[in-house]
Amino acid sequence: MAGAGTVTAREIITSYDGPKLRIMEVCGTHTHEIFRLGIRKLLPEQIELISGPGCPVCVTQVGFIDEAVLLALDHHATVCTFGDLVRVPGTEMSLAGARAKGARVQVVYSPLDAVDYAAGHPEEQVVFLSVGFETTTPASCLAVEQAMERGLTNFSLLTANKTMPSAYQALKGSADVFLYPGHVNAITGTAVCEALTEQGVSGVVTGFTAAEILTALALAIKKSREGKPFFVNAYPRVVTREGSVEARTLMDRLLEPCDTEWRGLGVIPGSGVRLREAYAAYDARKKFALPEIRGRGNPACRCGDVLQGKCRPCDCKVFGTGCTPEHPVGACMVSNEGACSAYYQYGGDNNA
Amino acid sequence: MCVGLSAKVVKVEKGTALVDASGARREVSASLLKDLEPGDYVMVHAGVAIAKITDEDEPETDRLLEELL
Repeated sequence: MAGAGTVTAREIITSYDGPKLRIMEVCGTHTHEIFRLGIRKLLPEQIELISGPGCPVCVTQVGFIDEAVLLALDHHATVCTFGDLVRVPGTEMSLAGARAKGARVQVVYSPLDAVDYAAGHPEEQVVFLSVGFETTTPASCLAVEQAMERGLTNFSLLTANKTMPSAYQALKGSADVFLYPGHVNAITGTAVCEALTEQGVSGVVTGFTAAEILTALALAIKKSREGKPFFVNAYPRVVTREGSVEARTLMDRLLEPCDTEWRGLGVIPGSGVRLREAYAAYDARKKFALPEIRGRGNPACRCGDVLQGKCRPCDCKVFGTGCTPEHPVGACMVSNEGACSAYYQYGGDNNA
Repeated sequence: MCVGLSAKVVKVEKGTALVDASGARREVSASLLKDLEPGDYVMVHAGVAIAKITDEDEPETDRLLEELL
């Protein structure tokens, strides 16, 4: 049952007849909810929605999959991972391919489940594939702390964790308004988004229900017409100005910033995190002395352009033909939060 | 992987909370939210309660739109 506010928001959106407005939904879950709820069908043609780089699986570089495959096949480690990484293609093979060659690959819901697995299998070396933004990174930190408390020496992380603020910097100019990922802001707070307005970057942080997404789009439209950079927290029931001090303290204790590669965006200085030297025993790269690996993606795949809003999934030559959810070529088709997967599932082309 | 789940806290014990998400129950870490109590609603990511939810969506969005108009 839609509230009165939802109807008003919908009217603001459908009656928009101003200049072209490019809105980037940074978060992959927003991309999917917007399709699933049919919101794209409401949009007038002057409003363009661009799917951004906020799906952790999608921005994970090919070389990371290669490292995981190497750990599983050559070092005989048990790889614990979120399910949607299993079918992401590496240079030679995916983790599903490695599993077919005898590798142990365990799907877990939480890094903490990987710690439980390690405790129950002391004869195995367990590596958790730690991907994600500020929302999931605290869970990996808690996993390391729990492993230490439980005296486990057979648990480590292969990290590819990333932080959002530097991505906003890199994407500045690709959209007029950002729909910020609500749960990243639940951790980081809103100061970073407020500061971005000083650089001319506008945005609205929002939640994931129909009322919240419609309201955020209506706010984006109304505020854009005022002609100056703005930030609105449209998700105060979860996002506070200060965010989660506990989560940030935890991350700061275990992790330090590092340069990291984003699929499509390249290396962004200081946009990643890795375990501090004091936690080296839990860093799979150090523990297994992994060589530096540079992965190679399929050259036909345009996930990189999709992630920057430079093309739509349906503009990619292999979309829906060589690349489908059953046989994905790129990460954006694998993950449930990926833009290509959303376009494929909901039959999307231009705002349809 | 990166899906937030809203859930109601049923029990809190030693840094762990038993939560109920539309009938599905599971233990999650409560170590990031020190003052959780049964009956609170939380946002859960990858087995960790990351934030308290302090209102429902529609009253909140109604208020935001009233301010806008």
